Amino acid sequence: MASWLQSIRPPNRLLRLLRSLGLADDPNPGDRPELERPWLINWQWVPKRSAGPGFGPHEYARARARGAEVARATFGDEQWDKLRRQGFLDLRSRRIPGLTYRLRVGRRIQLVWDSVEEAMGSPWPYDYLCINPTYPLPAVEYAAQLYLYLRDREDEVVRVAAPQPFDQPLGRVF
Amino acid sequence: MGRIIVANRHGDQVVEWDPAVVTEEGRAAVAEAEKLISEARARGCAVSKKVDGKHVLDNAPFDPQVEEYQIIAPIAGG
Repeated sequence: MASWLQSIRPPNRLLRLLRSLGLADDPNPGDRPELERPWLINWQWVPKRSAGPGFGPHEYARARARGAEVARATFGDEQWDKLRRQGFLDLRSRRIPGLTYRLRVGRRIQLVWDSVEEAMGSPWPYDYLCINPTYPLPAVEYAAQLYLYLRDREDEVVRVAAPQPFDQPLGRVF
Repeated sequence: MGRIIVANRHGDQVVEWDPAVVTEEGRAAVAEAEKLISEARARGCAVSKKVDGKHVLDNAPFDPQVEEYQIIAPIAGG
């Protein structure tokens, strides 16, 4: 497995200056980085809520903007508008009676129960589920991915979820 | 034209192919896309495909006729 150190890029400002002077080649015309396959990289040592080395404000802004486009396409317009309007999306569990998953961008999943009796049957001792992607992603893009997992592969969510007693931002998104 | 959206820290990056192109280059693009999907799945990623305008998680083998795939990050608790 490759290390995240391999993803370090030379300082962007310096490279731009060298390219403007004709002293360095532009390997990615159009300002598009090469295809990155994050599943091949070990992200373990990248700080929480960071995209890793080589990312400045410009890269974060661009990644978040592109992530929002993908998220919109993944959610579909109706769900996307709902998420923007109310700040969360609710998905009914198909596996656990009386449970609704409340999905919020960049935060833990909140469990909402129809009744106290049904909450007593919860497989988890707490009402927040901490589930992260294994590599850094824009928060809104990951929210769309988690939506797909909750809707189409709930068993996987139940299997990996780490129940927590309080709400908190997720650590592997930015 | 088919495409794979590779969701990563850059937001997304796209790999495209045209199933109608039967040249060596066209076949290579399809093979590259198939390899990318297989590699991601082998590393624990999920894959979604666009069906009737929306994405659904998919376990089927790569199909070059699919309009759009997306590679979905593996998830972990904590």
